[in-house]
Amino acid sequence: MSVSLEVSDPDASRPFIEAGWAEATGAKHTALLDPTHQLDALFGVVNIPNVVWIDEEGVIVRPAEPGWPQGDYYPDWLREFLDQRDTEVEAKAAEVEATNPELAAKLRGGQDRDSYADAIRDWAANGADSTYALSPTDVVASSQPRPKAKSEGAAHFELALHLWSAGDREAAFGHFRQAHRLQPDNWTYKRQAWSLVGNEAAGGGEMGRFNQGPLPGQEDDWPFEGTFTSEAGSTPAADYYPKSADL
Amino acid sequence: MLTNTLDVDAETFHAGTGWEIKPEGACKGEVCVPLPDGFELSSTAERLGMAVVHDDSTGTWAVGPESLGGRALVTAQAPELVLKDLEGAEVALSSLRGKKVVLVAWSPY
Repeated sequence: MSVSLEVSDPDASRPFIEAGWAEATGAKHTALLDPTHQLDALFGVVNIPNVVWIDEEGVIVRPAEPGWPQGDYYPDWLREFLDQRDTEVEAKAAEVEATNPELAAKLRGGQDRDSYADAIRDWAANGADSTYALSPTDVVASSQPRPKAKSEGAAHFELALHLWSAGDREAAFGHFRQAHRLQPDNWTYKRQAWSLVGNEAAGGGEMGRFNQGPLPGQEDDWPFEGTFTSEAGSTPAADYYPKSADL
Repeated sequence: MLTNTLDVDAETFHAGTGWEIKPEGACKGEVCVPLPDGFELSSTAERLGMAVVHDDSTGTWAVGPESLGGRALVTAQAPELVLKDLEGAEVALSSLRGKKVVLVAWSPY
């Protein structure tokens, strides 16, 4: 099943869900909407895509982690965008390889996208005997760290979404900023906020929500400290999509 | 969990946080945290490591998720999750019992 972390109305998610259904060879997967980001609080989701495995008894056997269950199913325009970004990252890694091999490895690192689907297939075939099915103790221990400050960040984020939906923008911005400060490694908190404002500035459209920073000349109007380019763009893959220890 | 008052009952707290108030304390899955003074939102939130934040402009309170174990999960038992699909129909995660579930979080941004 898929769950869209988006506070806006269902039509923001619909084209992507229908594109996935159109490409599927089997039955349509269950596609749900999570406008209040319950997955962050309940499962420790901090980025997208994040994947959770749950067995037939309702027991989590892998906590939220970066994962790609069946390759990608992006619209063509987004595929082109991502291919270009990957090319740029590889060019930067090649550039620093001789002088900073650690950074080069981080830029190229992170969770392996292709083998993740193989791990899921192994679990589907072998269940609890799969080497990828973790014990309940390991599931809890390898879930996201959560000191109380992160609980506070989650509370601010919930208030921010509530206020944004009610049209109280300035109050929402204050709580978004607090959430970002208290959960600096939660990319869904950041990208949700950036995309709401960026989409408005861009006037919507296919790429509107991927505009996650101020347009040229509008820098003073940007209500957040960071932007996607300034933060995610400079974060190595090994930090953006951390590799799970056993994958 | 959002609320306009800190004077909420145990049922509301359960619906909003997933923690059920039982004779042995506040429980989620197999984990129970004793509540020596019984249930009351502020003290229970404190016991569970939940932050309580107030928005002064609207008078709304937000109760953050538990942090008592220092991890996002305190139990491997999946929490209940009820969300709507594109047509507005509610689907409960628990309705998928008996099947393996690969839950994929994504977003259109």
